[in-house]
This record gives sequence, C-alpha cells and structure tokens, in this order.
Amino acid sequence: MVPLSLMRTGDKAVVRAIQGTGHLAKTLGQLGIIIGIELTVIQKANQSVIVRIGESRYALGAGAASMVLVEAQK
Amino acid sequence: MLLEPGQQAWCWSKHKNERNMNDIRILLAGNPNVGKTTLFNSLCGVHQHTGNYPGVTVEIKEGKRQVNEHSITVSDLPGTYSLSAFTPDEQVARDALLTSRPDAVVQIIDATNVERNLFLTTQLLEIGIPVVIALNMCDLADEQGITIDAECLEKNLKVPVVRIVARTGEGIEELVDTIIRVTSSKTPGNPRELEYSHSIATHVTEIGAFLGSHTSLPGNLSPQYAAIRLLEGDECLEKTLHDQGLVIPFIDTSDPAERDGIAEDILLARYHLAEEITTCSVRCTMGRVMPADLIDHVLTHRIFGIPIFLSCMWFAFQLTFSAANPFLVGIEQIFGYFTEVMNSIDMDPFVRSFLADGVIGGVGSVLVFVPNIFIMFLLLSILEDTGYLARAAFVMDRLMHSIGLHGRSFIPFLIGFGCNVPAIMATRTLQSRADRIITIITIPFMSCAARLPVYILFAGVFFGAAAGNVIFFLYVLGILVAVLSALIFRRLVFKGEPSPFIMELPPYRRPSGYAAALHMWYKGREYLKRAGIVIFGGVLVVWALATLPAGVEYGSAESLAGIIGEAVQPLFAPLGFNWQLVVGLIFGFIAKEVVVGSLGTLYGGEEMLESSLAADPTLTPVVALAFMVFVLLYLPCVAALGVIRQEMGSWRWTGIAIGWGILMAYIVAYIALHAGSFIIGA
Repeated sequence: MVPLSLMRTGDKAVVRAIQGTGHLAKTLGQLGIIIGIELTVIQKANQSVIVRIGESRYALGAGAASMVLVEAQK
Repeated sequence: MLLEPGQQAWCWSKHKNERNMNDIRILLAGNPNVGKTTLFNSLCGVHQHTGNYPGVTVEIKEGKRQVNEHSITVSDLPGTYSLSAFTPDEQVARDALLTSRPDAVVQIIDATNVERNLFLTTQLLEIGIPVVIALNMCDLADEQGITIDAECLEKNLKVPVVRIVARTGEGIEELVDTIIRVTSSKTPGNPRELEYSHSIATHVTEIGAFLGSHTSLPGNLSPQYAAIRLLEGDECLEKTLHDQGLVIPFIDTSDPAERDGIAEDILLARYHLAEEITTCSVRCTMGRVMPADLIDHVLTHRIFGIPIFLSCMWFAFQLTFSAANPFLVGIEQIFGYFTEVMNSIDMDPFVRSFLADGVIGGVGSVLVFVPNIFIMFLLLSILEDTGYLARAAFVMDRLMHSIGLHGRSFIPFLIGFGCNVPAIMATRTLQSRADRIITIITIPFMSCAARLPVYILFAGVFFGAAAGNVIFFLYVLGILVAVLSALIFRRLVFKGEPSPFIMELPPYRRPSGYAAALHMWYKGREYLKRAGIVIFGGVLVVWALATLPAGVEYGSAESLAGIIGEAVQPLFAPLGFNWQLVVGLIFGFIAKEVVVGSLGTLYGGEEMLESSLAADPTLTPVVALAFMVFVLLYLPCVAALGVIRQEMGSWRWTGIAIGWGILMAYIVAYIALHAGSFIIGA
C-alpha cells in the first residue's frame, strides 16, 4: 500500500485504507472515495493528484492525497 | 422557456400564504453540476444562473408554477453530495430537507453518472417524503453511448423516474404530472429500503424505539430515520437531543472507534445499493473515450498550469477594461451634457447645486462602474460554465496552501478584484471556519473595481506616463498584503494546516452565451441594487455636508465636511494628508469611488479637480502614492462590511477585520511615504 500522493499519472489503483478520521474521511466518503473503489490517476502535480472514478473526476490536494492509501493495479 | 397557455410562472421571495389542497411544495435536490438550476428555470420560467462551479446556489431560490388548479412551489436547494452537512451551503440543503416537510423531493440525477448520484438517493429515500427522480441530460448520455433502463431504475428504487433534458425543456410536462400524481396520494409510497447488516439493524431498532418513547423529534423526523442519522454521525441532531438532556443508548455509550465502524458500514451499504442498481439499469454500449483526461492533463499541468491560468486572467482583465472603456466614455459624455444643461437653466443656485452636484453627480458615479462590473461578471460566468474555474482552483491550491489558505479561497479572491461583496459571499463553499475567516479578512485587500477611479485620478495627475505602472504596483501590493495577512493569521491565530483540498471537477461543457448573459444581468442588477442605493445615498450625504451650514462656500473649510476633516486631520499628518484627503477617506467608507466624487466637491467641481490637485502645494507625488496605498487597504466599503458581518456571524471578527485593514493601511502607507521620499531624494 502506498499513499495516493506517490502514484504517477496513468496509474490505476484500488483504495485500501483511509488514514485519519473526522471530516476528511467523511468528505472522501461522501464523494465516493471509499475502501475497495478503483481509481485512475489522470494528473499529478507535485503531491496533488486528479483521479477519475467511474465518470467523476476529483482533485485532491497533497494533504488529502497522502491520507488515501492505495494498492497499485497492473 | 415558453409557457403553455394556462400556465403562469413567476418567482417571489419567501412569503407564506394559506395552503390548500392544491398547493404543492417541492424541493429540488441533487449533486452539484447536475442541472438543478436549469431545471428550476424550466419549471418556473425564471431564468437565472446555472453554475458549473460547485456551490453556485448558496441561498434557496423559490419559484412557482401553476398547472390547472395546482400551484406548485419549487425551492432550489444548494447542490449536495450527501445529507451530512460540512459546508454552510450543505447545511442549508440538509435543514430544508429535514425540517421543512415539503410534499415531495425531486432529485435531479446526471444520466451520464448515475451511480455517483444514487448515493444521495439512498439517503433521500429514507427521510419519509415522496421522492421523484428526474433523470437529466439524457441526450448527453445517449451521445456517450450510455443507455439507461428507466423502468428498471424505477422498479429498483420503487419511486417514479422521469427522463428529462432540462436544457431544452424535454420531459418537463411529464415530470410535473408525476409530481402532482405523487403528492396527491399524500403518502411517501413504499420506496426501496436499504439492507443493513444485522448489528446495524438492531441498533436502529433500539435507538428508534428509545427516541420514539422519549422525545418528539425536530421536523417530525421518524424515530427510525433519526436513529440512522445518529448512527451516521449527524452531529447537529445529536447536539439537539443532548440539549434536551437525553442519553441515547449506544450513541452515548459506545467508543468512537466502534461508532466510526458503524458509520462506515452504513456508507458502504449505500454505495453497495447504488452499485447494484446501476449494474442492472445502466448499460454502456460504446468504448469510453475520455478527451477530458487530455484537456485536464494540459490545463492542470504541474508546470504549465499556472502560466495558463495567469494568461487567462490577464486576458480577462484586459478584456474587461478595454471592452468597458467605450461605455465609460459614453456615460461620462452624457453626464457632462446633463450638467451643462443644468448650468444653462436659470434656477435657484441651491437647487441647481443639489441637482447638478448631488443628483446627477451621484447617479453618474454609480453608473460609471456598471460596464466594468457587468463585463467582469460575464467573463467569470463563462469561465465557470466551461468547468475551468474548478481546475484553476486545483492549480492554485499549492500556491494558496503555501500561504496557509485553501485552494477554493482563490475563487473569492478572483471575484474580489471585481467587487468584494460577491467575493465575501463566495466564501461559503469553504468547509472550515478558520479558512473562511482568514479568506474574508484578506479579501478586502484585493483591489476592487471601485478603487480604480481613485488610482486613475491620482496616478494620472502625479505620475503622468508612469501611471500604468503605479496602478499595477498597487494591485500587486494588495496581493502582497493579503498574503502577509493570511500568513500572520494562520501562524498566530488559527494554528495548523488549512483543511484538505478535495473537490469534484465538473465535466467540461460548452458555455452558453445566453446563460452567461443572464447571469451577468442578474449579478449586475443585484450589485446595482445593493451598491447603487448606498453609493447614491453616500454622494447625497457628501453634498449635504459640503453645503451645510447654509451660506458657506461649497466644500470650503467652513462647511461641515471641512470641520470634520480638520478635526481628524492631525491623526493623518504623519502620512502627509491634508483635510480634503481626510474627508475623502471618511466618505470613501460609503464606497471607495466616492473618494473621487467628494474630492471633486471639496476642490470645487469635478471638471477642475485634476488641475486643482496638481496646484495644491500640500500634495506631492509621494503623498499621492501614500494616499492611494491607504485607499487600497484601509476599510471595506459599507456594503462589503455588511456582508462581512453576515458571513462571519460575529461582531468580534468583523471588528478584527476592520481594525486589521486600518492598521495595515496606516503602516504600509507610512512606509510608502518614506520609501518614496527616499527614492526621489536619492
């Protein structure tokens, strides 16, 4: 498992854990960024990422991206 | 949209009337960017704005549609992903859904992204209000090769599903008929229930039974539903019940980790249901082409992102000012003509002064800003509709983050260059109160359009050919002071990091010129109404203070304005301001551009103002510079101040915002005066 902030553009990954609790986890949860979901990294700017999940795109700042632990897919 | 015969549509602000059987109240709910506002306009025949930036609808708009004997009241809720309320606009949506007991909720679902939208559906189904699903953008879904089996969706959700295209009005009639049919039965129907695990179901039953026997719940929530909300972590409801002195089994006794686990299980149950329903009702027949990925890749690029953004902004500002210029010249000519006509008519000098200096001058000073403000709103609205502004927020997040602010704060800053009032209102999309307060305190340092006339006057008179550079310097100085203030407040007052940046990026859409023009019209009109009255009133007050007591020479040291200015002037002596400038500053509180008008009055007429200023021995280029710096920073105008109070919800923070501005203005103007003298002396 690696933080989402370390993935590269074009990588596909599955969310395995979300660190921390409170508002961050809840906000991610209501946007559909939950454990088991598959996402594609479509942009990487330093530690910030844009991911695509299904038809939706989400921008995550470095702080948020480092809290999402993912497992890279082939 | 065109109205059928027999239909009437109008919008009105909140007022209550007697409800009879034929009065139907519905709420429009849905995720951001699914076309809620467009549907609202189609339903009510009132075109307002359809925003593409999350959080455009911050206040609940209401409209009405008359169909035969039925009168349907429609409220347009802010876009929300769920009923947990993190930002103020989400709270508005949540409160309306849970406490106002409408006859039905219409959820607008983006047909190109059904699964994502169904999460909110799973929450709406539980409230106990009839739900109607409006499947919007079916045309776009068709284009993308997405086929949706609406009957299957209907069968699975057990609520009516209507296909619509809000943009063209397709399916609206059927939606209205469905709303009438559903609400006439006066029961929530029998919507699909979520299947919770055994342990959650047990908790729901227990807590529900407890609530049912111990208390009456706010907004007539059913005990079962209240139990689910408590388990999901509805802090607001929990607090309400706590205030009633209730100790709720499980909620108050279990450890936080266990409760987090339950909340997560409920979340997963919702996603599971959304996925299950999507799998059986949505088919994708075409290979997915994702051109948006490529566009995103360029626009949000690590290196190119910021230059692209800055070029966009530069272009927008150039366009604002160059496109507005012909209008400005026209307006000035018309008002010059009016003044001439006034002077040529034979009348009492006092009345003439009132009409020429007070009324015509006042209206003129309001209208001079209209072209700039309107064009700026138009451009912002176009940028917003394309979906670019959300990307720009992402690009700017890193920069904003390094000064202790949230990426989203940058949108209010941008708007602030036009007018601080809508900018401060736009901070509602920020989640954390600390982020909101810091953003609101720093917005007034963004040099709004109203300050420009002051710069144009003084830079033009005292700096000649270098005027453009001086004005540019002032804009940059404002940004620097904002950055400095943000850093100071983040380091010393709100210690810690800004809240994490997470934001949905709306799909790219072609902006509609019509929608953008309407947005410009509504926003511009709102500005005119809000600011126009204040500015016009302000100019009249200036006129009165400069004329009274009766018989004194207009704007002289003996007038009320002169007396006030001379009394306060010593405070500003270290900055080199004379009493006229001080009076200008005092009136500038009404609105910054009034500074020019009042100086015009005090120096005996706006036509001669430039030469009078140049001839005044107390004014030197460095004093002019210090004065411009002071005007840039010192106080938000009365209108902005009112909004600051409203958004801060606290007089203390409003006071801090004012005090901070004045402090910064004094210090920076003092530095500008001495640094300027030093440079010129050297």
